[in-house]
Amino acid sequence: MDRRQFLVGCGCCGLVGAFPALALATSTNTDVWQAPQRFQRPLAGSEEGGLWAMMDREEAKLRRSMFLIKERPLNDYLTRIATRLAGEHSLDIRVYPVRTPLFNASMAPNGMLQIWSGLLLRMANEAQLAAIIGHEIGHYLSRHSLDRLRDAKSRSAFGQFLGIALSAAGAGGTAPLAQMALVAGMFAYGRDQEREADRIGLELMSKAGYEPMEASKVWAQLLAEINAEKDWSGAPAEKSVLFASHPPAVERQDDLVARAKRLSAGQLSPYEGDYASMLAPYRREWLEDELKRRKSGETLALLEIMLQRSPGDSELRFFLGETYRLRAADGDMERAMNEYRAAAERPDTPAELYRSMGMIQRQQGDHQSAKDSFRHYLAARPEAVDATMILSYLEKGS
Amino acid sequence: MRWLLLGVVVLLASCANVTKIGPGKVSVNEKMVTQLDKAWNRIDAPGKGKVEIWTADGLPLDRLTFYPAIGDGEALAELQGRKEKQQPRFHVGMPPHEIVELFETVVAADGSTFRLDKLSPTAFAGGEGFRFDYSVLRKEDEVELKGVAYGVVQHGKLFLMTFSAPKTHYFGKHLSSVESIAGSVQIRN
Repeated sequence: MDRRQFLVGCGCCGLVGAFPALALATSTNTDVWQAPQRFQRPLAGSEEGGLWAMMDREEAKLRRSMFLIKERPLNDYLTRIATRLAGEHSLDIRVYPVRTPLFNASMAPNGMLQIWSGLLLRMANEAQLAAIIGHEIGHYLSRHSLDRLRDAKSRSAFGQFLGIALSAAGAGGTAPLAQMALVAGMFAYGRDQEREADRIGLELMSKAGYEPMEASKVWAQLLAEINAEKDWSGAPAEKSVLFASHPPAVERQDDLVARAKRLSAGQLSPYEGDYASMLAPYRREWLEDELKRRKSGETLALLEIMLQRSPGDSELRFFLGETYRLRAADGDMERAMNEYRAAAERPDTPAELYRSMGMIQRQQGDHQSAKDSFRHYLAARPEAVDATMILSYLEKGS
Repeated sequence: MRWLLLGVVVLLASCANVTKIGPGKVSVNEKMVTQLDKAWNRIDAPGKGKVEIWTADGLPLDRLTFYPAIGDGEALAELQGRKEKQQPRFHVGMPPHEIVELFETVVAADGSTFRLDKLSPTAFAGGEGFRFDYSVLRKEDEVELKGVAYGVVQHGKLFLMTFSAPKTHYFGKHLSSVESIAGSVQIRN
């Protein structure tokens, strides 16, 4: 685990807090909430100033990162959402989309907001993304990370984590994403802080014209994914990397629904179309990243949910088939073939679908169908990087 | 304090052991033999299972990994913190494409990206095998790697060797040696 990964882990739960001592304008007892004034940079010599400087250095590294998604349209789009939500504070917030196939967003105290591709893939619409960004802005405006830093228990955990991170770096080893997320989870905000960030996030999104009811749907979907993975592999839900820093609870969901009902005027928009067109250039690559995680339970649940929203989407159906093929449990090859066949009936089908069909047909001994599928693939992708391998399958009789 | 320090040193020393191997005929985990045209270093670390890792200039700079005799239902490499059903497992009958997908899962486990650049049939270890070329963006230090791998399934077991190194300098530096190793690999009965 390198230092950047480590800080990402911390940032997502707001461990690395460095806020100036300004008056807190949030209230935990009433529904009346007023945004504080813009924060001033803390003095360089102070403890907070030092941490702020450390985050600035991390941000400079992040700007050069090859995992940063640099395309202007996506960055402009995300910045527009943050601006709508944060008002004058948006002048202090910089949004960075990062290619990492996990559900995570993190706001550092200096205004560096990271959003990972695994999160962007899972949002159904702009309103859901606004709920996440609003929630992170909620932590930022309430300076929760400073509270965590001042918590002695958290400081000790911080030291422990620093030791792990440094020894991992020194050994030249890498930390699996799962471990990174789990350690990050050690610093999760308390329940009250999460609730407060939820409340601020909802207020910001409804003020900005987003349907606040979408917020609870994000957590409902993630719970469905985690439960599906638990059912399939037995992986305990509390260890899911999807919830590195935001443990969901039914109670919290209910709270979000109740608050959203009070806020929603019934005329607010989820901004579905805008989001789908923004996602389109990246979705295939991010779905491929998702498959490589080999968390079949989570991926199947995710794809089922996405297909409920777009039943005619042949690319999603292809990836559902791919997930079954890779899982390879009893009956999965038939399930995969059913999805491929359904996808093949629609336009814009990925040609790789025929390669996958061919592989299954070949393994099932249906050599003539395998030949037809492989030929179909080669006709569509004559220059494919695996063309000679496919030709060898054909020469061997399938 | 002195004993504590000594303990730490012993602990660190026991974590990984480096042994010089070659040139000449060398056994890979008693499952394969190969002929080396120069000396390599074998890294013995706890928990690596039957996987064998070699390096010429040090692990961040080049890594030659052997996955010898992986049986039906066995994981290509046991990934940390995962349940049994979440491990990338080899199954007899898997075509080369799916073996590449297993390796891809191992590479991507730390967040690195993987891209297949070429996959073609080739003779390897006395059988009809396959070779693939790939590119990796390594997560831990964001170094761009190039890789080449050779594999074959013989008697229901997978034999795979992969070589990854930074695309600038180190990949090219050791490629001919790796190709010569691949060309001389034999499976032990």
